[in-house]
Amino acid sequence: MHELSIASSVVDRVLEFLDSHEVKKVITVRLAIGELSNVEAEQLRFCYTAITQETALENSTLEIENVPAVVECPSCSYRGRPKYWADALSAAPIPTFECPDCKGTVEPVEGNDCAIKAIQFIT
Amino acid sequence: MGAIGSGKTTLIGRLVERLKDRFGVAVFNGDATTSTDADLIARQNVPVVQIATVNGCHLDANLVGKALRKIDLEKLKLIFIENIGNLICPAEFPLGSKARIVVVSVTEGQYMVRKHPHMFLGADLVIVNKVDLAAAMEVSVEDLAADVHKLKPGHQGHPHELQERYWFR
Repeated sequence: MHELSIASSVVDRVLEFLDSHEVKKVITVRLAIGELSNVEAEQLRFCYTAITQETALENSTLEIENVPAVVECPSCSYRGRPKYWADALSAAPIPTFECPDCKGTVEPVEGNDCAIKAIQFIT
Repeated sequence: MGAIGSGKTTLIGRLVERLKDRFGVAVFNGDATTSTDADLIARQNVPVVQIATVNGCHLDANLVGKALRKIDLEKLKLIFIENIGNLICPAEFPLGSKARIVVVSVTEGQYMVRKHPHMFLGADLVIVNKVDLAAAMEVSVEDLAADVHKLKPGHQGHPHELQERYWFR
């Protein structure tokens, strides 16, 4: 949800970066989106295309790198992928905070964020 | 946090009733348009700030920051923040609160937890509300609780003394 505001923040940050560099045209912006961040890639692309019109980012490619969730268990020190709830009747398996090893409660350590990883441009 | 009509205001009202004589309590009521919830709580003579989001579907830390400037924090120990009735967006916007409580009522149906896993994964406490209507709604409180435990096994069921709610923490 709120992909439009995420897309505008991304575009604002890139434009800020362009201000301090001699850039003619942006070719690619690469984002890393965490599995637990709930950012919807398809909607983000749509918003990005719409708001980059008539800016230095027009026609640039938005590349999205998916960052898988990593969780840690404070009781048994498990670190790795979360346990998924496969039979929840949902479109995709739901990540849970149940420890796959000891059934305790894990904490998410990776996959929460949405970050700009790289900007490719022509000077 | 919780869906529209899940019982957020009522829960906060009851908690304020029990806690206000023990220490300083204040309430921030997020509501898209009306001040009905804030007015209800204000009758208990505790500081209340109504946060109108108009078209906004959630509170954010900035709105809470502005509300904090409207009250005298000196004598307060606890502030309840009631988010907008919505099980999706509020999960995405941390408010700086110490703990997050999600209220889910049986009148929302059997599958609220699995339909909104992100909201429940972020909860420190889940309250299943209106359990006296479970039979009429053909909703199993145990199955609803089992869904919470599937997502976060740390939550444990405690039948509440009033018998009208079921608490998990």
